Amino acid sequence: MFEAPVQKLIDELARLPGVGRKSAQRLAFHILQIEEVDARRLADAIIEMRETVRLCSRCFNITDEEECSICRDLRRDPSGICVVERAQDIVVVERTQEFKGRYHVLGGAISPIEGIGPDQLRIRQLVARIDAEGVTEVIAATNPNVEGDTTALYIARILKPLGVKVTRLASGLPVGGDLDYADEITLGRALAGRQEL
Amino acid sequence: MRLLWLELGYFRAYRSLHFEPGAGVNVLIGDNGTGKTSILEGIGYLASLRSFRNAPDASLVADGSDEAIVRGEFTAAERSSLVEIAIPAQGRRSVLLDGKRPKGRAEIAERVALVAFLPDDLDLVKRGPAYRRGYLDEAAVQVWPVAASEFGEYDRVVRQRNALLRREGHNADVTTLDVLDEKLSSLGSVVLARRLAVVALLEPVVAELYGELSERPGRVEWRYQAAGLGEPDRESSADSLRTLLGDALAGARAGDLDRRITTVGPHRDEVVMLIDDRDVRTRASQGEQRSIALGLRVAAYRVLLDRRGTPPVLLLDDVFSELDPGRGERLVGQLPQGQVFVTSAREEEVPLVGDRWTVSTDGVRAA
Repeated sequence: MFEAPVQKLIDELARLPGVGRKSAQRLAFHILQIEEVDARRLADAIIEMRETVRLCSRCFNITDEEECSICRDLRRDPSGICVVERAQDIVVVERTQEFKGRYHVLGGAISPIEGIGPDQLRIRQLVARIDAEGVTEVIAATNPNVEGDTTALYIARILKPLGVKVTRLASGLPVGGDLDYADEITLGRALAGRQEL
Repeated sequence: MRLLWLELGYFRAYRSLHFEPGAGVNVLIGDNGTGKTSILEGIGYLASLRSFRNAPDASLVADGSDEAIVRGEFTAAERSSLVEIAIPAQGRRSVLLDGKRPKGRAEIAERVALVAFLPDDLDLVKRGPAYRRGYLDEAAVQVWPVAASEFGEYDRVVRQRNALLRREGHNADVTTLDVLDEKLSSLGSVVLARRLAVVALLEPVVAELYGELSERPGRVEWRYQAAGLGEPDRESSADSLRTLLGDALAGARAGDLDRRITTVGPHRDEVVMLIDDRDVRTRASQGEQRSIALGLRVAAYRVLLDRRGTPPVLLLDDVFSELDPGRGERLVGQLPQGQVFVTSAREEEVPLVGDRWTVSTDGVRAA
């Protein structure tokens, strides 16, 4: 145990994802050593983010206004929605510059182990957007694992009766790499999803 | 396949151990409690990322230490593989293969081939179906490394479905259950196809070995009984198995909702082993059971040898004390010469020629 204020910070840092006991200690002692203004800037940044950032009322992306910049952008095609688990996934898809529609952040994936079912996700809100925005295609860009796949299948079951085309991101090989560097799972999925030339 | 060196740090009773074994047979002699098995356990951990005693990771860490280290370098066909593992007393272990994080167990299984014979191997034939499923899955992963992640994904979806049933019972959301069933049948069919394929590989080898390992000949036969499906055709494609599993899951839905558990799928399957139509588990003598248990391990070794072209590293943990001398020698006769690690409390009971090492809590010394 360290002096109470130091220990308090270590405990808080250790609760962050990906930060263990030792890293938390290192970070705390680093913060102790830097200039006070720098430490204050870090603290202010945390508080400012928490106080100003909110969720987009339409897609639940993070924003500092009523709607996020993507939903406000009139050039985006409202007929397509890309469904992601977390807001940070939007940035990844946006970087491709291939998707011109809007997004919908579910807030996770179906995982009964963690007590997360469809009601804990923003699936109801997604369904409500279909009619309201004239959506014709939904791309399920959930993670390629059991929970992400299950969630994608769930969305397809719910939306297909509404006449919406539901698609899933293809799993495949990294571009520019050698075939022999691909792991078996990726290669197996790529084989299963092969396309005729 | 050969282990060039092994290092243990704060692993079980060892504070620090460095061991450079010989390329052939290594006989580790020492009194009980000196850590012979810990050395084999460390070697086994490098290959399978788990304790062959089924010990939880935390129990591998020496008392008073917060982390155990296992390192070792294997070589096969002039390719070397450095495996380094840190097992903390709390939290996740970290694994490095040649200094880089491997994508999963599969990548290690692909590089390191190892078969262990354990004193508890009789459990494989005497105890519940989980032991035999574990044996088949372990063999399947060594033959087809990609199977490791298939089994992992399947296991995950079963746990999700069970969690839903346990939490919600009859109130479980029907669409969620439908979707989990779809996922369970597609992943389950892949697992089932692997099981049937590995049964097809191993069964004839065990049948052939049985004659050599036992005093009396007998006709050995396996029946793969898939929960909810009966005995599927060994040649079934994953596609047809998926349909079968899907139908079986739908049929079992009402009962599963009552019992709050998933009763259909390869996690509930059984392999019944027969000698002359008698169930080995319930209607065979201790001697017959022992011959089958040995046959299972030797078969895994043979199949791996056949697939990889190089003998796997072989661990024989206190195996000879359980065998009458005749059977011990017949066993040795069945194993082509690769690198072997044998432990024993009594030097004279090991019918193998090779490097002899004395094991004490201080380490390993050439005897």
